[in-house]
Amino acid sequence: MRIDRTVVQNWLLPVAALVAWEVLGRAGLAPRYLSTPSAILAALWEITLTGELFTALAASLYRVAAGFALGTAAGIIVGLGAGVLPGVRHFFDPLVSFLYSIPKIAFLPVFLLLFGLGHASKIAIIAFSGFFPVFIASRHAVLSVNRILIWAAQNMGTPPRTVFFRVIVPAAAPQLFSGIRIGLAHAFVVLFAAELIGSKVGLGTIISYGEEWVRFDLMFAGIVCFAVLGFLSDRILLAIRTRMLKGQMIGTEEQVMR
Amino acid sequence: MTAFARQTRALIARWYSIPLLIVVWQLAVGSGLVESRLLPSPERVFTALVTEVGNGTLVYHAGVTISRALTGFVLAALVGIPFAAAMARSTLIRNLFEPIFFIGYPIPKIALFPVFTYIFGIGTPSKIAFTVLECLYPIVVTCYFGFRGVQTRLIWSAQNCGANNVTILRRVILPAALPSIFSGLRIALPVAIIVVVITEMIGDSIGLGYYITIWSTRFTFANVYAAIIVIGICGLVLDQALLLLRRRAVYWQREAA
Repeated sequence: MRIDRTVVQNWLLPVAALVAWEVLGRAGLAPRYLSTPSAILAALWEITLTGELFTALAASLYRVAAGFALGTAAGIIVGLGAGVLPGVRHFFDPLVSFLYSIPKIAFLPVFLLLFGLGHASKIAIIAFSGFFPVFIASRHAVLSVNRILIWAAQNMGTPPRTVFFRVIVPAAAPQLFSGIRIGLAHAFVVLFAAELIGSKVGLGTIISYGEEWVRFDLMFAGIVCFAVLGFLSDRILLAIRTRMLKGQMIGTEEQVMR
Repeated sequence: MTAFARQTRALIARWYSIPLLIVVWQLAVGSGLVESRLLPSPERVFTALVTEVGNGTLVYHAGVTISRALTGFVLAALVGIPFAAAMARSTLIRNLFEPIFFIGYPIPKIALFPVFTYIFGIGTPSKIAFTVLECLYPIVVTCYFGFRGVQTRLIWSAQNCGANNVTILRRVILPAALPSIFSGLRIALPVAIIVVVITEMIGDSIGLGYYITIWSTRFTFANVYAAIIVIGICGLVLDQALLLLRRRAVYWQREAA
């Protein structure tokens, strides 16, 4: 079997890094806090057996899913509204342009005090930070819809409602998804910070527990789970996007990026 | 209607929501509807802002945060832009690093921050190193597409006119990729600020993130909001500065709204 050169080159660096990590870690040449890939796998297996992993995963997943769904829904509704109705646009534009430049995580202490240490505060802050990129993308998307499409529909006597659902929304959809994708990335960053700063369960808690009890294998196990969760969520979103936008994304960056 | 009156009306229609919300906020707190310890009145936030900026505390912490964010951002740009160009031009480099950047792009890198604190310590170096990592991704990915998107016929015509490789890079490739470079930078700049504030909240003794954490544990939320306002202003100013730079560098093309 002939092995493709590109594939070899693609895998070269990650595999080399993993092997070097394992070898150096075993030889005691790497600092102890770096652990080794095999120890991390063992720790992953350990928390799978004790069930800790599932409790943490369920908590983190619930928070990120609920917060992301709320923030995205609000962002789409208000953003589309702002795109269509100048009144809504004029109300939200100044607020968003000021709040957008603030890291939403700065409000975490306020949210913790308002909603407590449980799920609610994390869901609220994730929704809050996810709202902005989705709002901005939807608003811009609606405003940049080709006027000719709307005129053409109106010319054929289409009622405003149908113009909105059959012309504006589909035409705005690709940009909307880019906003949602940014919102998803924000959601995980905020989730991590919120779980590290004030939480009793979740993947962030496993990581900080590993740090506190000098179980670096456990810390990395948490990091790996967190990374995989974020990666998979993004891929699922891209898959949904591809299905929904069939034929609308030829030659776009995401398509090139696979 | 006179032109002046029209302009005033347009201005009010455009900006009324911020003063309106401040008035509602003040009324809600003043009437006792909202717990004033949780949501101090705008007046008290403003007083806290003036005091803390006046005595230099907020200026100091903002200086720490912004200098960390900018250092990380500039380092990421200095490494990332040439790297993206190399990835776009060389198949070997592209094959070696493409998986790292494109598979790694959607991975929440923030989870690695604890490891950074072990390698670089809890202070400024770990924050800067982590900011570099977080900014590197949007810069490399966006610039890579910019460099790849340079039309081959532009390069051919330059070669046809007898331009050497250095001239082509400087006078053809770089200008053609400049809009993408700036959009990458514009994505990365707020990322830098967010990352520095978050990491300061997780653990530090200076910086705006620390300032927010410490005053919220003392339940002095007027100071917390004052710090949030300062972050907002810094972010706005830096973004505008970048846009100004873009207008000067990419003078032949207006940015998209």
